[in-house]
Amino acid sequence: MTTDEPYRWLDAIANRREYIRDQLKGATPVFAVSRPEGVLLLGVGTGQSKVFEVYDRLALGALGHPVDIEKIRQTVIEAAHREGFTRAPEDVTLRRLLNFSLGPALKSGFEQIFSAPLMVECVFAEVGAAPADDVLARVAFDGTYRFESGLAVVHTAAAAEAAAASWLRDQLAGAASVGEVARLALAAWRSLTAGAEFTAPDRAAALAAAPAVEGKVVEAALLERGPGRVCYRPLGAADLA
Amino acid sequence: MSGDGDFLALLPKTAFAAPGRGDPSHPALEATTVFAFHYADGVIVAGDHRATAGNLVFSDRTEKILELDRHSLMAIAGSPSIALEMARTLQTAFDYYRRSQLQPMSLAAKMRALSRLLHDNLPATLQGFGTVAPIFAGLDPATGRPSIFFYDPLGAQFEGVAYAGSGSGSGSIKSVLHYLEQWGQPKPAQMTLAQAVVLANRLLMTAAEFDTATGGVDPLRGDFATVKLLDAAGVRTLAPAEQARLWGAAP
Repeated sequence: MTTDEPYRWLDAIANRREYIRDQLKGATPVFAVSRPEGVLLLGVGTGQSKVFEVYDRLALGALGHPVDIEKIRQTVIEAAHREGFTRAPEDVTLRRLLNFSLGPALKSGFEQIFSAPLMVECVFAEVGAAPADDVLARVAFDGTYRFESGLAVVHTAAAAEAAAASWLRDQLAGAASVGEVARLALAAWRSLTAGAEFTAPDRAAALAAAPAVEGKVVEAALLERGPGRVCYRPLGAADLA
Repeated sequence: MSGDGDFLALLPKTAFAAPGRGDPSHPALEATTVFAFHYADGVIVAGDHRATAGNLVFSDRTEKILELDRHSLMAIAGSPSIALEMARTLQTAFDYYRRSQLQPMSLAAKMRALSRLLHDNLPATLQGFGTVAPIFAGLDPATGRPSIFFYDPLGAQFEGVAYAGSGSGSGSIKSVLHYLEQWGQPKPAQMTLAQAVVLANRLLMTAAEFDTATGGVDPLRGDFATVKLLDAAGVRTLAPAEQARLWGAAP
């Protein structure tokens, strides 16, 4: 196939997009929630497979192919540390990393139609001085991203993702603790992974359920709000109880 | 004017340009006395606030005990510019390793990293203006036990089994610590936190009595040493207010 004709290139891009979406279908969702205590990131995986520390005030939640998640993770960690060392940690912001490092790299990778695509969907979080200053960025495999306020859900089906985000946003208004937020997010996780569509869980049942998924590891971390330099703190079962 | 926005390229043209080598009218800046010793709950690392240039007090508000990560500390003596850059490099290196490799760097690798930086600094050390002789305190995550190490300016590392000291006032301090380790009641390693904090401040006051380059500590006026603690829970800074409380509470 040649790609010097525009319609063939468009065809190849469309095929690529379809292929990536098909490959991502089995991946499970991740969540980022802005709280007074900080930003909670949560996913369910095998341990150190979904939620990661990136920099002093930055973290990543991702779904997709583990090798591709690793590529994205290493890319952004390296960029953040180079920038923080060259200038200062305060200059390492999510907006800059996305604009000048990760976004162009993802877009370029997606459009290299003769190389293997990166199969990753993710959310980046930056904790601020107050919840209103938190930055949550929902990043897609093709390099497009949008900033979310208060909550970001990452899933492979757009409609289900939006429905889960809408339900979760309503429920979170009354959540008293990080543990309650984690239980509500896990209820959304169970619903999203049970079928193609999102079915609103029962709030009382969600809050009563243990923050665990049989045979898997609940990966959660809090970007703690405060004066400390390193904000990332992994959360164990006791923290979510 | 180069126009490329590189501020560092402007520095040689400013009053902050580095002094000429061997020029006695521009003596090199030095950070002075730091030390560490084991107390009952872990390791206490302390230092005065003074930086000197020859016979001049350059600053009495210098931070010389630097937290590298949650489990390691570096106390600097010698050339502050190089020592601070070493600390910043190690801080970034430890964080980068932990984040990228999803596990903390081992204590042995951290010690070796500092040793390598000191060795790489050999040209500045030999030229006499960039000597750094740090103390490193680190926690072994496997055992939860903190250890103290000290270095020569070329990068050789030694474990300070009970204590270590560096800088111009450290001779007096090491003498007192040796005496207390041998004949003290209690020995420093048996001391409570309050006793250790009082000892740390008194050690610096003793050093200042004989060394003009040690200073900036006067608990009776509310000027306390920089004190950081390393125990199984990690690094903790003791603020002056907390030291004042412990100073008043100690027997």
